[in-house]
Amino acid sequence: MAIADASHFDRLVDFLKQKRENVTFHDIIALAEVSAQSLQSFFQAMDAKVYGELREIAGYIETMRHEIGALQVNDLKNSRIPAAGEELGAIVQATEAATHTIMECAEAVMGADASDPVAYKALVDEKMMVIFEACSFQDITGQRIAKVVETLQHIEERVSRFADVMQAKDIDGFLTRSERERAERKEKFLLHGPQLAGGGVDQAKVDEMFP
Amino acid sequence: MAVDMSMPVLVVDDYNTMIRIIRNLLKQLGFEDIDDASDGSAALSKLREKKYGLVISDWNMEPMTGYELLKEVRADPGLNKTPFIMVTAESKTENVIAAKKAGVNNYIVKPFNAQTLKTKIEAVFAE
Repeated sequence: MAIADASHFDRLVDFLKQKRENVTFHDIIALAEVSAQSLQSFFQAMDAKVYGELREIAGYIETMRHEIGALQVNDLKNSRIPAAGEELGAIVQATEAATHTIMECAEAVMGADASDPVAYKALVDEKMMVIFEACSFQDITGQRIAKVVETLQHIEERVSRFADVMQAKDIDGFLTRSERERAERKEKFLLHGPQLAGGGVDQAKVDEMFP
Repeated sequence: MAVDMSMPVLVVDDYNTMIRIIRNLLKQLGFEDIDDASDGSAALSKLREKKYGLVISDWNMEPMTGYELLKEVRADPGLNKTPFIMVTAESKTENVIAAKKAGVNNYIVKPFNAQTLKTKIEAVFAE
């Protein structure tokens, strides 16, 4: 912000130093004119400073707009994230269907009458073929997972770049009430979910805790 | 103490596949009277309707978790002696300690095999 210096007010000071006994409306107008003229250079200096700061802010907003655009949020929201969700849904369905088929075969074999070895072998052979076929889900599931991973990498790259450019700092708290409630529930009931290798205790360690 | 194969067993899990796996394993072990429930509150209702000799429960379920179910069972004078085995993917030490403190009889980490289930059931009834 511009700082007023004494020279801005010299004319005003001179005007006020003049002795005046009967102040008229003309004197007041004259005072206003002198005031305006005296402060003109001050306001000009201030204008230049404010203009510079506003230009800086405008530049920052322009950069931010560009970076937000680079995030491609509409593409993420309308296309990539829903597509990834559909892929995950398809994975769940495929694994469920395959598990169902495999278990059905196992149950059929376990429940079969083994008194006729020929018929029993034919049944086992037939069910084993069905199990082989059902296991083909893994190939397609692998390809679907690769697509979801690609989407996650796409999001990660853009969000990381945005955070770096904006020098973003994390703030505490939750975005929504349901987000907070989910987090509180997880904490209260110790819901950590499956751990990666080395992240939790194995059965042998658990057994030591139940001697 | 020998395991009574005729006693009713309640399997609690929100995944049908898991219920089916445990059911089949229990059948292979010789159990015949097996019921199931999809969460803690459904299990609690069944436990109050019928006397079960063993509860095998998952931890992470909605709306009532297996951990809450365990605490409810232990707090109920009519149910607090029911043997309770937790079968779960929750494998953090704090989970095992919390379950033990709440009165679980044994703890199985998923994925598990038939032998582990058999050993744990035998251990519970040998207590």
